[in-house]
Amino acid sequence: MSGAGSGLGPLLACVLARELKDGEVVAFGLHAELLLAAALLAQKLHAPNLAIRHGLRVERGPEIGPAAWTDARRSHAHEGIEYLESHDAILDVANPASPMRFCDVFLVGGLQIDREGSTNLIGLKGRDGRMALRGPGSIGTTSIGTLARHVILFSPEHSRRRFVETVDYVSVPGWRRRAAAGLEGGPALCVTSIAVMDFAGGLMRLRSVHPHATADEVRRRTSFPLPPEGPVPVTLPPTAAERAALESIDPSGRLERMPIPAGGEAS
Amino acid sequence: MSDERAERVLDASEAAALVRDGMVVGLSGFSYQNPPMALVREIIRRRVKGLTIVSGPTSGIETDLLIGAGCVRRAVTAGVAFEQVVPMAPAFRRAAERGEIEVWECDECLWHLALKAAAWGMPYLLWRGGVGTSIPELNPDLEEVQEGGRRYLKVPARPLDIVFLHAAEADRFGNVRAARQAYLGRSFCERALALACRGPVVASVERLVPDDETLGSPERTLVRGAFVVEAPWGAHPGGTSGRYAPDLEHYAEYAAAGEARRKGDPQPYQRYLERHVYGPEDHDGYLRTIGAGRLEALRLGAA
Repeated sequence: MSGAGSGLGPLLACVLARELKDGEVVAFGLHAELLLAAALLAQKLHAPNLAIRHGLRVERGPEIGPAAWTDARRSHAHEGIEYLESHDAILDVANPASPMRFCDVFLVGGLQIDREGSTNLIGLKGRDGRMALRGPGSIGTTSIGTLARHVILFSPEHSRRRFVETVDYVSVPGWRRRAAAGLEGGPALCVTSIAVMDFAGGLMRLRSVHPHATADEVRRRTSFPLPPEGPVPVTLPPTAAERAALESIDPSGRLERMPIPAGGEAS
Repeated sequence: MSDERAERVLDASEAAALVRDGMVVGLSGFSYQNPPMALVREIIRRRVKGLTIVSGPTSGIETDLLIGAGCVRRAVTAGVAFEQVVPMAPAFRRAAERGEIEVWECDECLWHLALKAAAWGMPYLLWRGGVGTSIPELNPDLEEVQEGGRRYLKVPARPLDIVFLHAAEADRFGNVRAARQAYLGRSFCERALALACRGPVVASVERLVPDDETLGSPERTLVRGAFVVEAPWGAHPGGTSGRYAPDLEHYAEYAAAGEARRKGDPQPYQRYLERHVYGPEDHDGYLRTIGAGRLEALRLGAA
């Protein structure tokens, strides 16, 4: 299993880009170059009116690259900024009808993700039922993940400790918990380094397996059953049009070099 | 003379002396950007105890260092992140796992709402994000309520006793300003914290500017009525938006020391505190522990 140079960055960017629709607002955090690549790719290929909210900025960058704040001397990131907020604009997520809404589609990860698509960034419980491992905290995920129209789960790591039957704590509620709380809908999709999952009846199922992995491997690295039985489609590799667009938004091959473990971390 | 406008300039030790044990302290900063580190180190040198820190909403080393130095009883933050350096902030993690600090479990929206309620004079605000999560279970003061057939979280007001923030510049009358080219963000949570504060707001700034500069570009003024402290490189090892990048190597050294302590060896973290916090008498002394050459290498091109 090789990390750097596994070439997974371009595939994952394409998989995510295909899910972003024209006219939507997509939001993600500051340190997410892969997600920025997916959004720029969608903008270039099929979603020219996709608005990209990257941290506090709404931007139309021509390409990914080192963030402006880490190495401004080489970055052109600031040239594509069309709007800049202060941080409390995150509260604008509560009115999804406004043209200034915070976002429509939100990409979220977790320390744990469970069968119904709940996520946990709070911590892990020990045998005594108390918090044994303190997580980083829910960051912006709870409210946005609850109030945004579309939630896509994204986790490069695909392991049994990540994909659990039931999360120890809930940062973003999945299908069953949302229904119980009177909230409609639930996460639509879950993308990892080895597979794409979607949901049927509020439970996760396998939609496609990436070309370098097998359905058996995906199931072995997941703590709950993943229907359906039988053959599972292979995730479509980057098409010629996607590869051409990738070259223009990532001319120096940063995605290719991104350290994403090809099989997910050890279970 | 009584007809002269009062200046609001303090030095760092005067500013830190405003903090008392047990206060609720707001700290501005966003990930690696604009943490008020010169003031934080000065507060730690005064061996203050029992603080409630309201930082972030996603906070960083300012929160972790205060916790690591034993100044904090409670942390109100949506996360303490060292993204791209280590997965988790070491002192926050250690103290939370050992039960040495309480964490008010929230996300960024709930954090803002608690401050808005304080700013607007409301006892609480209702919010739909967070129903169906563990957050109301983990916070006794954050109950779920029904209204018009829908469920909401009742977010209590969080008034602050004092606020510390860092920015690019200020005039001597307390107008605190962003850099002209602040592309990561012109403003973070300075206003949100200042408006929820019932005591002083203190801003450290890279430099004090003549007041006619302020008059020419009011859109860059973030907060007014602050006390201002001139502290060049005052966010280090964090960055200051539009001025210099964060020193990620220093973050990695700090995180390694914190991780060693979390795993049972307190020496590296104690050495860090001695070298960079307790050892230097003041902020200038701290900057000498880093070195001018290393600082200059962080400076952004056009400021």
